[in-house]
Amino acid sequence: MSTTALAEKLESIVGERFVLRRESDLLVYNSDGLPGYRRMPRLAVFPGNREQAIAVVRALAADGIPYVPRGAGTGLSGGALADDVVLLGLHRLKRIISIDIENLRAVVEPGVVNLALNRMVAPLGLIYAPDPSSEAACTIGGNVAENAGGPHCLKYGVTLNHVVSINAILPDGEIVTLGDPEGETGGYDLRGAFIGSEGCFGVALDVTVRLTRRPQAIRTMLADFTSVDDAAHVSSAIIASGIVPAALEFMDGPTIRVVESSVYAAGYPADAAAVLLIEVDGIEAGVDADRDTIQRICLEGGARQVKVARNDAERLKLWQGRKKAFGAMGRMAPHLVVQDAVIPRTRLAEILARIGAIAAENRVVVCNVFHAGDGNLHPNIPYNADNADEAERVHRAMGQIMKACVDAGGSITGEHGVGLDKIGYIELIFSPDSLAAMCKLREVFDPDRRANPGKVVPIHSCQEWRGTPASRAAEIQHTAGVS
Amino acid sequence: MTSMVTSQTPLETIIDAADAGTPLRISGRGHWMDAGRASPATRILSMANHTGVVDYVPGDLTITVRSGTTLAELDRITRAERQWLPLDPFGSRDGTIGATIATGSFGPLAHGFGRARDLVLGLEFVTGDGKVVRGGGRVVKNVAGFDLVRLVTGSWGTLGVITEATLRLYAISSEPVTMTLNLPDGVKGISQRIGPILGGGVAPYAVEIVDAALAARLGLPAKTQVLVRIGGNSAAMAAQRDFLAALGGAHELEADVWGKLGLVEDAEAGEMPPIVIRFSTLPGRIVDLWTNLQRSGIPIPGVMMHATPSLGIVRCILPGSSSLDAVESLVGTVSGATRLYERLPSSLWDSMSQSVTDVRISQRIKRAFDPGNILNPGILGPLN
Repeated sequence: MSTTALAEKLESIVGERFVLRRESDLLVYNSDGLPGYRRMPRLAVFPGNREQAIAVVRALAADGIPYVPRGAGTGLSGGALADDVVLLGLHRLKRIISIDIENLRAVVEPGVVNLALNRMVAPLGLIYAPDPSSEAACTIGGNVAENAGGPHCLKYGVTLNHVVSINAILPDGEIVTLGDPEGETGGYDLRGAFIGSEGCFGVALDVTVRLTRRPQAIRTMLADFTSVDDAAHVSSAIIASGIVPAALEFMDGPTIRVVESSVYAAGYPADAAAVLLIEVDGIEAGVDADRDTIQRICLEGGARQVKVARNDAERLKLWQGRKKAFGAMGRMAPHLVVQDAVIPRTRLAEILARIGAIAAENRVVVCNVFHAGDGNLHPNIPYNADNADEAERVHRAMGQIMKACVDAGGSITGEHGVGLDKIGYIELIFSPDSLAAMCKLREVFDPDRRANPGKVVPIHSCQEWRGTPASRAAEIQHTAGVS
Repeated sequence: MTSMVTSQTPLETIIDAADAGTPLRISGRGHWMDAGRASPATRILSMANHTGVVDYVPGDLTITVRSGTTLAELDRITRAERQWLPLDPFGSRDGTIGATIATGSFGPLAHGFGRARDLVLGLEFVTGDGKVVRGGGRVVKNVAGFDLVRLVTGSWGTLGVITEATLRLYAISSEPVTMTLNLPDGVKGISQRIGPILGGGVAPYAVEIVDAALAARLGLPAKTQVLVRIGGNSAAMAAQRDFLAALGGAHELEADVWGKLGLVEDAEAGEMPPIVIRFSTLPGRIVDLWTNLQRSGIPIPGVMMHATPSLGIVRCILPGSSSLDAVESLVGTVSGATRLYERLPSSLWDSMSQSVTDVRISQRIKRAFDPGNILNPGILGPLN
């Protein structure tokens, strides 16, 4: 079908204004929050309600047209983009359909912004716990697609743990309910399979999420260290102590200094080698004891001081610096590679030292800002992509960092998803048979592989496996930065 | 005739079965063999000897074990490090972690720590076509690849034979304490009693309502009551004790009440295993559901009930000798609740329970992972 004919067909559903076909208009949609990847859709379509979304998916199914669902485009894995597809933007489906205080549930459309839901339920003494750093812009539909996390997922769990059920439209146009909004389901956990499927299994039309009562008391601390190694060991020691902090975040010196030189300055000590932002919450009587224990562990572990936020304003300021750190890095260089890997929590100091060595070897600056409590690293490298030599060094350093994390028994992504960015690494952690099983699961939902084509599992894994060709094995090693 | 193969390495058994088209009934230590629908499989693949720790670094609060490892053994290993797996499915701790995950089982601790699906970080399993597949990983946060862990957890062995599991552990900061409070009769009275407990004044590990008959079986006064298990640091414990005491009539119980609760069904098993039906609804309707079931259950001799109010779940345990009329009368009086049958006499399955794999996607998943339909065939219902 010609692009013109397709555009007219989609315009008949959503209106002319909500279909983009000019290249200059589509440029906005050719990348996500990780601008190193560019893929140009042939069209973008923005349904304004559930009925239109259903009609668009069915129209695409009727003509066998590949598409990529997209929320706010804040993803950090090059996930919501592909060449020559229809980009299906869902941000206009932004109704909060219901809030059920008694049952701690909300039903929302996929385009509802994470923070908008939290603002809506805050006066009721409730929170929606998953809080990715992009919470001010990212959508619940995108959170479901990526199984998004956030700082407070250390205690409260990721999106998966907070979604009760999903009404979704599959790529062939069938509408299904995954999970049960009111009770238990027997049989397979299709809800669980759908969450984190990166748009490859279909489009959520509405999501029933679980709300959480705001804890009785919160204590937020900032511990500063003159040694990265000390901060890493203290992170591991806090986890090993048995306290489950609501959040345990790590920022290294380069990150601290760029945050402090930006409009997001939070009062972090600019001469520190690292800071830990630690939050405990729960019933009033218990949090002070946990705070005291954590203070003691920090000070015994080499912290210069532990500052405790005295009120909500101080707490929010401490958090602002952390949540806006990626944005502040824009001051350092025109481009930024954001990495997302997970390691066992006892290996933190060792891997941070290895990352430091890799940075030195490749003459790049790594800014570490990450979720230390669950071992979810974000080593980020600001650089100039137009400098081919620098870009090559950055690419090599990232591959080596990823290899170090995998060798430590870790994972290639903790919360950003695979997208395009990690697809070259996935064969480092999953066997051909495991990837083939994932392909089979995908084909149950999307036999034609039209929904977000080319993501999560490499296409060659979906063929009958006959062993790793020597050329492919070399390619995997190269991607991982192994010479 | 039934035959059994006990396998250290189940792969060859499954490949042979796949080649021959021989259906397999997957077993841990056999505690669930009378649960679920009857399967025509006569060859039993026992994972009971596939045991042991693969990897345990206490500082990471994760453990990887082979699937035949019992819950009791997991308790022993983790307690030595002052840690625990807060997963307490009903039944003996002699059951295996593989069976617990395969059946998606959980108990009262799901209130505070989530269900099996929330505590499993990674799985290795062998599919019906003899492929060794891994999903998830050994770290506590991971979104790499499609989520095969959630898919296989609770799939009753129909998609793959679980061989290894990585689990999230929690540290024991202090020994949990259990308090009990009597519950009055009637919707209003129960709601007024439960509301504050669930409303944030305490942060319990478990909140479980038990009826008078079950309370008596636990060695408690034969009254409907709510058991509250609390934990945390000493200041938090003291505050929670005070809070519960202020509600009136609270007193502390021996910790083994939870172990007794888990064993009620095993102890009941004689010639006829009990019938266990799980009703679920929205948490806000739990008291209505409870009172309805109490009313309709009273005429059934020997019936016992307990509920996890925050999850909206009521479990009814009926003597295995209960008549079809009794079961139907219990089920028939409840509307607006989902029913799952954990254990039914094989003669009742077809009349009582719909297939749970009758949706198109589930049927296709089953065929994709077990193309010859050799793994626990029929246990979740027939394939169309």
